[in-house]
Amino acid sequence: MKGTIFVELVKMAEGAFGEDVVDDVLDKADLDNGGAFTTVGNYPCSELVKIVVAFSEHSGLSPEVLQKMFGHWMLTHFVENYPEFFNSKADAFSLLESIEGEIHVEVRKLYPDAELPTFETERKDATHLNMTYESPRPLSAFCHGMIEAALEYFDQTGEITSQADPVNAQVTNFAITLAE
Amino acid sequence: MTTPPDDRVSRRRYEREQLARTEAEKLLEDKSRELFEANAALSTQSANLERAVKERTEELEQALKRAEAASTARSRFIATMSHEIRTPLGGLLGMIDLLSMDEKDASKLELLNYAKAAGEGLSRIVNDVLDFSKMEAGVFVFEEEDVDIRALVESIRILYTSHGKGTGRTIVTKIDQSVPKLFRSDATRIRQIISNLINNALRYSADGPIIFRAKAEAHEKGVLLRCEVEDFGVGIPPEKFKDLFKDFAQVANPLTVAAQGTGLGLAICKRILDGLGGEVGVESSLGEGSTFWFEVPVEVVSRPQSTQDDDVEMASGGLSPARSIEGLRVLIAEDNIINQKMLLAYTDRMNLKADLAENGRIAVEKFAPGKYDLILMDIAMPEMDGIEATRQIKAKWPAKDVPPIFALTAHVADAIEEEANIVGIDRILSKPIPFDTLKSLIESSLKLSTAKAGGNPKVAEPSVAIPPVCAPKDASALVTELKGRMVPEVANHLLEIFDLDGLIDLVQKFVVDASFRLEQLIAAERSGDKDAASKQAHSLKGASLALGFKDMADMARHMELRDSDVDVEGLAEEFVSQVNEIRSILSL
Repeated sequence: MKGTIFVELVKMAEGAFGEDVVDDVLDKADLDNGGAFTTVGNYPCSELVKIVVAFSEHSGLSPEVLQKMFGHWMLTHFVENYPEFFNSKADAFSLLESIEGEIHVEVRKLYPDAELPTFETERKDATHLNMTYESPRPLSAFCHGMIEAALEYFDQTGEITSQADPVNAQVTNFAITLAE
Repeated sequence: MTTPPDDRVSRRRYEREQLARTEAEKLLEDKSRELFEANAALSTQSANLERAVKERTEELEQALKRAEAASTARSRFIATMSHEIRTPLGGLLGMIDLLSMDEKDASKLELLNYAKAAGEGLSRIVNDVLDFSKMEAGVFVFEEEDVDIRALVESIRILYTSHGKGTGRTIVTKIDQSVPKLFRSDATRIRQIISNLINNALRYSADGPIIFRAKAEAHEKGVLLRCEVEDFGVGIPPEKFKDLFKDFAQVANPLTVAAQGTGLGLAICKRILDGLGGEVGVESSLGEGSTFWFEVPVEVVSRPQSTQDDDVEMASGGLSPARSIEGLRVLIAEDNIINQKMLLAYTDRMNLKADLAENGRIAVEKFAPGKYDLILMDIAMPEMDGIEATRQIKAKWPAKDVPPIFALTAHVADAIEEEANIVGIDRILSKPIPFDTLKSLIESSLKLSTAKAGGNPKVAEPSVAIPPVCAPKDASALVTELKGRMVPEVANHLLEIFDLDGLIDLVQKFVVDASFRLEQLIAAERSGDKDAASKQAHSLKGASLALGFKDMADMARHMELRDSDVDVEGLAEEFVSQVNEIRSILSL
């Protein structure tokens, strides 16, 4: 998993809990590299899970809530660093629909070895979008948070439901309904 | 007690950052190494590719050289084959001609005719294949010369209707006034196309006329000549149209079981027209007949509606031309004994006085100004070839003292053309040359050369005085009168070639010529020179036939053959009175 996720997660925690707390939690979390992450490295996803669990224990917030928060944080990070993907889009659906065909294409150019999740979208009508998220990593709440943040970014409101696929454990089905 | 400022970083945080930095630097180094290795691999691959390209290029160059060498060898082979096949074939055909001339036995004559037809068929196929090979080898050369399509088509018409499958068939030629009398193009190739189309029309129709039409319309290059050959034969189903002009394609002919020809005729036509910037096509309905057409842009030399002078010139060429070359002196330079015999027999039949030189050196020795009217020069001869002999003759004597020199060659004409032009050979004739072709070429060329020498074509006309032409307004009435005495077919045909005035002029020439010959004939008869009388009668017969004066032709024939107690003098007197009748019609 790309180092930037780890670095940003740590940054978010520092903002939320303070540097000392973060240092303490990282020290206790039994990480392979002692929490020394760089954006250019690749790290196992299990390390990310460890960090989330550690902060959850420290804060009393559930891992899902933390993942959603982190989803919001990452979207803001992407908007700041890669505005070109956002400026060209009119709304959240367009952005979500462009992940596979546009954003991931660019990611692979920089990181040919990146292990990317897939986002299949199906627009039912003007206000309904189904998105199928597939990844070997248990990060559907993180994904949920990103979708929420995307709606917010485009000043849109709506309802997001997520449901684990009954057949495929790696798949989560999202249904997004915009408010009229 | 001092508290550390907020911007200070704890030791463990600093160590974690150091660790991260070390890791990042290591990653960077790894990536750099990977990049370097990828670059090195790319360079190697690029070098390999360059080497591969170089090797391929060398291979291709080698292949190209081999192909060029093969092509050169092929061209040389074609030229050699052409010579090797045409020479014996020419000998065969010439011998058959000679045998036919002397043969009286009808059954043997028939066999000889079969042999001649088969030989000519073979000759055509050889020529087709050679032409095609030359086109394939890219050595097919186009000429630019003055073409008189009326004369050209007429000679084709006569050729096809006089023997072989065209005997007894009618070929009607309708050449529109819009077609220029002379235009610039390749006469040989145009003749080839028209011959091919007429030959096909004869092959693919059992009866009915073959109609040749020509017209011209304005074009940026001069005029666009359109020729059509129509037959009323078996026709062609539309689905076959696209294959017609492909190489070796033949349409099944229900008129004959055996396949005829090579299937190259129309393909050659198409390629020739491609070369001349023209087009060829066909319209046909099955069972009703076909019309093959071609269009070719040509540069006009003179306009058709020109003058009577042109017609006069043409008429003089058309009237019993045998007279005009009789008695001319020809030097024949030829080493091959078969060709010698053939040419001597030919010239004898043309009533030319022939002198033989066995090679180029002897020809140079024999030649002197005023001694000959024409030189027939073989090219390949021992001791001195025809090119060198021509060069020496031209170098030794002033141009005005050297008569026309025709090169006779079994080589492909293109091959010696440049040299021939340089030394000043007037015409290149390809062997085998048929009797009629040689004769008409000699006639036309000598006429041309006399005209050139005189500086004015009119001066070169026969010196006999021609009575003043009657007023042209009477022309049509006059012709009606004349036509009454002519075989209708001949009269119509003559009117197609010449116009009214041309025909009248032709008849006037006939009257003058016939009167002169009759005087000679009567004089010879009275002095007992039967031979001379017969010769004059023979000429009178030819001239009468040419104009369709059947009665006079019959009289002339009796006089010529002198069959059982014919009163030659009496017939001659009657002939004179008929000529006088025509004279009086003309002076109406």
